[in-house]
Amino acid sequence: MSGRPSHSALGLSSAVLLAAAALALVDRHAARPWRARIPALRKPTLRGKVTDATAAVRAARRMNRAAGLLAGSVLADSAVEHYRGSFHNKAMIAPLASAIFSLAVSAHGNADKRPVAHRARDVVYSGAFFTGLLGAGFHLFNVSKRPGGFCWQNLFYGAPLLAPAALILSGATGFLSERVRDTLPGRSPTIAGIPAGRAVAAATALGLIGTMGEAGLLHFRGAYHNPFMYAPVSIPPVAAVLIGHAALGRARERRWVTRLFLRLSAAMGFAGVGFHIFGVARNMGGWRNWSQNLLNGPPIPAPPSFTGLALAGLAALGLMEDHPDD
Amino acid sequence: MSTRDEARAAPRAINGRAPDVFRRGEWVPMREHAEEEEVDFVVVGTGAGGAPLIARLAESGFSVVGMDAGPYFRPLEDFASDEREQEQLYWLDERICDGANPIVMGGKNSGQAVGGSTVHFAMVSLRFRPEWFKSRSALGYGADWPLDWREMWGYYQIAEQALSISGPVRYPWGPRRPRYPYRAHELNGAAELLARGAEALGMKWTATPLATVSAPHGRSPPCVYRGFCRFGCSTNAKQSQLVTFIPRALAAGAEIRDLAMVGRIEVGANGRVSGVHYHRDGRWRFQKARNVVVAGYAIETPRLLLASATDRYRQGLANSSGLVGKNLMTQSNQAVFGRMAQEVRWYKGPPSLAITEHWNYEDRKEFFGGYCWMAQGPLPVEWVTIQTSSRGLWGQALRDAMEHYIHQVGLKMVGEMLPDERNRVTLADEKDQYGLPIARITYSWGENDKALIQHALGQMQMSLEAVGATDIFRQEDDTNHLAGTARMGSDPSSSVVNADCRTWDIPNLWVCDGSVFPTTGGVNPSLTITSIALRTADRICALAARGEL
Amino acid sequence: MTDRYPGYDVMAKRWTPSWNEQTRRVVDQRLAVLREPRFFSGAEWRTLNAVCARIMPQPKDRPPVPLPAYVDEKLHMRRLDGYRYAQLPPQDVAWRRGLAALDDESRAVHGAAFHTLASDQQDTLLGRMQRGELTSVAWGDMPCQLFFEHRVIPDITHAYYAHPLAWNEIGFGGPASPRGYVRMGLDRRDPWEAAADRGV
Ligand SMILES: Cc1cc2nc3c(=O)[nH]c(=O)nc-3n(C[C@H](O)[C@H](O)[C@H](O)COP(=O)(O)OP(=O)(O)OC[C@H]3O[C@@H](n4cnc5c(N)ncnc54)[C@H](O)[C@@H]3O)c2cc1C
Ligand code: SF4
Repeated sequence: MSGRPSHSALGLSSAVLLAAAALALVDRHAARPWRARIPALRKPTLRGKVTDATAAVRAARRMNRAAGLLAGSVLADSAVEHYRGSFHNKAMIAPLASAIFSLAVSAHGNADKRPVAHRARDVVYSGAFFTGLLGAGFHLFNVSKRPGGFCWQNLFYGAPLLAPAALILSGATGFLSERVRDTLPGRSPTIAGIPAGRAVAAATALGLIGTMGEAGLLHFRGAYHNPFMYAPVSIPPVAAVLIGHAALGRARERRWVTRLFLRLSAAMGFAGVGFHIFGVARNMGGWRNWSQNLLNGPPIPAPPSFTGLALAGLAALGLMEDHPDD
Repeated sequence: MSTRDEARAAPRAINGRAPDVFRRGEWVPMREHAEEEEVDFVVVGTGAGGAPLIARLAESGFSVVGMDAGPYFRPLEDFASDEREQEQLYWLDERICDGANPIVMGGKNSGQAVGGSTVHFAMVSLRFRPEWFKSRSALGYGADWPLDWREMWGYYQIAEQALSISGPVRYPWGPRRPRYPYRAHELNGAAELLARGAEALGMKWTATPLATVSAPHGRSPPCVYRGFCRFGCSTNAKQSQLVTFIPRALAAGAEIRDLAMVGRIEVGANGRVSGVHYHRDGRWRFQKARNVVVAGYAIETPRLLLASATDRYRQGLANSSGLVGKNLMTQSNQAVFGRMAQEVRWYKGPPSLAITEHWNYEDRKEFFGGYCWMAQGPLPVEWVTIQTSSRGLWGQALRDAMEHYIHQVGLKMVGEMLPDERNRVTLADEKDQYGLPIARITYSWGENDKALIQHALGQMQMSLEAVGATDIFRQEDDTNHLAGTARMGSDPSSSVVNADCRTWDIPNLWVCDGSVFPTTGGVNPSLTITSIALRTADRICALAARGEL
Repeated sequence: MTDRYPGYDVMAKRWTPSWNEQTRRVVDQRLAVLREPRFFSGAEWRTLNAVCARIMPQPKDRPPVPLPAYVDEKLHMRRLDGYRYAQLPPQDVAWRRGLAALDDESRAVHGAAFHTLASDQQDTLLGRMQRGELTSVAWGDMPCQLFFEHRVIPDITHAYYAHPLAWNEIGFGGPASPRGYVRMGLDRRDPWEAAADRGV
């Protein structure tokens, strides 16, 4: 991959869906089991397994880590990218600030073993969510006013449309983790009435597809000159389908293939960093010419977005197994 | 002595090895041929036409020696980032220019290096409009080519693949073409202004297909947008013949002789050519050959053919039609420049990152031929040349004008000029350093040429006005690219070579470079030259298979 | 004169990735040009110095770019342009004859050598050369206008704009290899490019 770096990012669509889920009333008491509302999915054996609060906290902390990883990726990526853009618009500092806070509260959440949501974390995560949303708007506007509008040239080189979604997703994942954490003892965590595991799994699937879209676009810009560049457009889609299937399927199944592909995606995210480091070295002047190649070479901070999403997916699987709803 | 001076001082491709263009100070093995050995082909010139032919012939199993008057460079260590210094890439030997509109030679249009002019060309790699291959019958001017555009479409594709062209996902003009192997480059400020201007005039525009990679390819790193393209690419991102077809040729067993100036083609008693006399390493030598291909570009090719005259061929070789040296064509390269309030900094990136071919595909105009225009990025020396020659500035006025350098923007046309027998290359009485008669180049614009230029200047000016440029001025008198002095055709009385680039008069003498163009079209020529060379190689193989060489 | 890019110096990038070894060598050689003429005679040299000072006047607050030395070097080294207009003799002949003819015109009009004239008198003569109005027999068959356009102007102005001091004045990035540029758009600047003084 070469050319300008850009964020690896999540599908705007997935972010929007997650947003809807997050913003909807959080139903702590699961008055009506979600499946009961959808006749086709109604099953005779409907029993919320009663678990202790630690399982929910464990899941929430996993999600904090996922949110943190996504925030870290956003931080590094938007720092590089907006530095490249010389911060010509003051607002370009916003995602950096937001990602730093997100990263901090994620660390805080990860260390926090109490089964109650935290006001500061909620504020920061919501802030990240809205900053991402605003960023997406800015980026759309930027591309639309370039000559040629929404054409390949501008998708390649204009403000990356999908990038701000990573921040949206980080915020949303964090916000959801607070809801999971807030689960009353003896209850299964739900989000807008949907079992949390399923919600997070679905969001992960969409996030993976969006991120793959961005990597695919940029690797297309790089003409897939290295066969390994096909990895992010071949492994994550399988993972996305599997986790998507899990979101809709039976909770009690042992999904080792899904886990395998999620772990592969996570590993690929880290391997991508290695490949991108090699890519920078391979550009003219190599690392000695870092002031150009870090910006124009393949984006080193981008691939871990896949890792962040894969972690969220694994957390979702854990949630579903801990709180089987079927 | 610097490595660059070394390249000029003595031949490098000797003793079974040639410079490795991708590694400093390194070599690659090279097969060599003895002079008394009759090789299958000697190719004179290793540029856009010569290099692909050498590579393809060698890959097909022929023994081939490619000769070039210029040095064999390793771009990474030999090319300085300096406009003046890199004039070393040009053909700087004296030529005399006259006519009503004398052509400016030197850096404007001809190179002298292994790789030919592609070492310093601007990398714009365009296909001809299909109708141009039948200009006379389809559009009513010039002459028909003996080639079919559909066949050329196939060779264009091969050439684009071989040169890893970076181009737009969809090219907006002409018949469908396959996707370019690499994606287009990012636009710079100058290109963006072209795009905005075109949109204001309701014209399509696109990122220019360029022979410089936008992502790594083999041992070429991607372009770093340093903007010195016309002075040699020390990045090796540029896909010149020097780093594409020449390494392929060596790998396939061809021999390249650098600093080898061919002065005369020898004709045997049977009327066929038997080899070439060339000057290398301080003395004249002779290489025997079964076939000779001349690929020295539109000035040196006719010069060599004319200078090789014998008692049998008093008018020069392959000249029974009298057309060798005639119908010289250049392309109009006028420009309009202006000043923006914004900083454009047009020295960044390849000079022509955006293009509009609108007027090549629009026939409602009152003259023949077409043109395109491209964004510009002259470096300081070229820019001062434009300021002085177009506006007559000097003294404080010149200094003041130059201070706006980073705010300047410009559009430059590449326009079709019509063939005219009065525009020609002849031999002057004066001799060069080898004792060879130097070329006299005579050129005058015709009425059609002038009409086309005025039209283009008007359009480009409107485009600049539309983006808010001020202090607009025109560069009225520039030309570049050469063609036409050994035209191809289907009739021996009105052409020098046939469709296979074989001369009508002498079956084992060929011409394969820009001189074979019967018309020159309204786009930069080198991709067409290369495609014709690829076709010629295939044709030679086919003829050889039938025993018709 | 105005300093549009205060503090910008292309030479300061000498040891950054913008310059490579061969470029340092080439620019060093250029800066070390011999200041004494090897091609021109004493009288020609004086006229040439005066011509250069008018074609490309330079600020007083810094040592001038030695333009006559570059012209002399080009002729001494026989660096050709790759072409010449048929009406012009080879460059060495053209320069000698042109400078002598200009001096001749000066003596005819002002009774003094060209280099002793006041600047505006020099400018007037040069302007007449540009317009083809000089007629001394010393020009021979060489049109003074072509000499001005194809010898005087390019040989002097090219030397100037190939000099780092000139690059500083116009904000050109200068050498750029291995590092090129990153920020390509309008009103965008890499940190290693000239920053304009917004007050100007
Ligand atoms: C500044 C500039 C920019 C250009 N930009 C573009 C562009 O963007 N796009 C485009 O399509 N075209 C461009 N061109 C034109 C393009 O480079 C030429 O049309 C093309 O290279 C010509 O190919 P050729 O094979 O005919 O000759 P060349 O590529 O010029 O090769 C001829 C070679 O033959 C050698 N030679 C000649 N005579 C002899 C002899 N007697 N003995 C030994 N060797 C000899 C020469 O040294 C030279 O190396 C540009 C040209 C210039 C000068
Ligand atoms: S801009 Fe690109 S192609 Fe041109 S010289 Fe620089 S690296 Fe080479």
